[in-house]
Amino acid sequence: MVKHFGIVGAGTMGSGIAQAAALSGVDVLLYDVNDTILRQALERIKYDFRKGVNRGKLTQEQMTEAFGRIHPRTKLHDLKQCEFIVEAVIEDLTVKKDLFRHLEADTKPTTILATNTSSLSVTAMASVLRVPERAVGLHFFNPAHIMKLVEVVRGERTSQETVDHTIELAKQIDKTPVVAKDTPGFIVNRVARPFYGEALRLLGENVATVEQIDRIVKEGGGFAMGPFELMDLIGIDINFAVTQSMYEQYFGEPRYRPHLIQKRMVDAGHIGRKSGQGFYKYEDKK
Amino acid sequence: MAKKTSSTTHTKGTSGHSVVYIVGDSPLVEEYANLCADKGYSVVVDWNESPKPAPKFEGTVKVSSTTARNTAVALELTIADKEHKKKNLVTLDKALAATAPILTNSVTVAATEQATWISGKHRLVGIGALPSFSQQRIVETAPTVHTPKETVEVVQRFMQSLGKEIEVVQDRVGMVLPRILCQLVNEATFVVQEDVATPQDVDTAMKLGTNYPLGPIEWGGKIGFKHVYSVLSAIENDLSEDRYRISPLLKMLAHTGEWWKKQ
Ligand SMILES: NC(=O)c1ccc[n+]([C@@H]2O[C@H](COP(=O)([O-])OP(=O)(O)OC[C@H]3O[C@@H](n4cnc5c(N)ncnc54)[C@H](O)[C@@H]3O)[C@@H](O)[C@H]2O)c1
Repeated sequence: MVKHFGIVGAGTMGSGIAQAAALSGVDVLLYDVNDTILRQALERIKYDFRKGVNRGKLTQEQMTEAFGRIHPRTKLHDLKQCEFIVEAVIEDLTVKKDLFRHLEADTKPTTILATNTSSLSVTAMASVLRVPERAVGLHFFNPAHIMKLVEVVRGERTSQETVDHTIELAKQIDKTPVVAKDTPGFIVNRVARPFYGEALRLLGENVATVEQIDRIVKEGGGFAMGPFELMDLIGIDINFAVTQSMYEQYFGEPRYRPHLIQKRMVDAGHIGRKSGQGFYKYEDKK
Repeated sequence: MAKKTSSTTHTKGTSGHSVVYIVGDSPLVEEYANLCADKGYSVVVDWNESPKPAPKFEGTVKVSSTTARNTAVALELTIADKEHKKKNLVTLDKALAATAPILTNSVTVAATEQATWISGKHRLVGIGALPSFSQQRIVETAPTVHTPKETVEVVQRFMQSLGKEIEVVQDRVGMVLPRILCQLVNEATFVVQEDVATPQDVDTAMKLGTNYPLGPIEWGGKIGFKHVYSVLSAIENDLSEDRYRISPLLKMLAHTGEWWKKQ
């Protein structure tokens, strides 16, 4: 059992992970570069907890207790007592490698160092460590306090012991772990590619309209959302970037080739809900 | 919609129950037979290859290889076997009254190509049908250049009588849902083949991570891996694109019909 769980980076993902962990009874040491960012993170967490209380998902008491288990920190060596640390800083290999080096210097040799990266290689990140066997991927989904799934990513040199401990930690904080080899997109981002890619091709080939394809997928296939609605929700820019990154990382595998329609939508600034227009128009925004 | 009354006369025979003739592959034939029987049609079925053991039907469903002249609507549900499909369509075209439409499964052969096999081209309308989806509300429908508006309307009313709506799409191999779904299954089998993850973890990941109603491997099993394979090879042939390359694991699953055991 992990008693002290370290999280580096108190952004969207870091705060979500902190909530999930604190609710399961673990003490969380939440690190970010300064107090202002940490204060904002704690505000967000409190807000989400209150929403949970209002919806009857947790009691006032559970909320106070969980909130009390989140300890903000601005010094990395304060995370020394943690048996498990996950980083959720910006998606930049140099920044993450640098952080891993510092963490290795500042923690016990048995501490597992995990990364929440979506698109970078766990193996490449681990390569900067003297003991790469202790590094692993622990990929959460947004919003991390709600989504049950985590992908445990086995790097080229990750030890079986590290994988086993990571699976245990995931279960301890009430998540459902699946194990994936360190390959671009892991499981979810990779297997989901055709859902968007084929829909875009069907549209490009004029087989059916955006509305028709969404309707067929939902009411003919039983999906909760159609591919175009989902791209609008995720952000067409984000979806395009993920596809492009997969395509490049697989050295031009045709199954992951992006579509010109995505590029043009991004060019036009029609990137989905957040811009007021994507494949659909959103009147309430903009 | 205004033609609701005339539609009833069109699809109901003199006995009060109009006849639907269904021919093709198991289990699609059984799925549609139960659906039609449940909605009060007199159903006559036949298979390319009779399933064993013989299926039990809930309503009144007759098994017969002769097509009655008074058949109101015929369904040709063969998924991939072109020779059987052709033979069935030619037989139906000769036996049916000129006004009776044939709804033909067009997921692996475009309805337009199928229309070249028969003289009653006007009566042919493509539909998208794969096992396990017959309870869904929407059916993809692909008329050809020969299909008059009236025939599409008859199909629409027939599907409405089954509690369904049609979505008219272009006549293209793979249609919409089969193309998306079969590629999901294909990608999932690539992941398993490459030892990136186990089949169970792939299904868990997609259900929890993207909220899919079923995991892609489970789906492949429900649709039938051999049908997934047929749809993908038809698309691969039609478009000649590398992205429809089928994973060797999926091919093995299609041939053995069972889950692959790693040696
Ligand atoms: N947002 C998502 O949907 C999502 C989903 C899964 C995984 N991820 C991954 O999670 C990670 C974080 O994403 P996010 O959306 O939470 O980003 P974010 O921008 O919301 O948060 C990043 C946080 O990291 C902090 N930070 C930056 N550099 C740092 C450093 N050197 N040391 C310590 N803290 C530092 C920033 O101050 C910020 O608070 C990324 O690797 C991303 O790929 C994101």
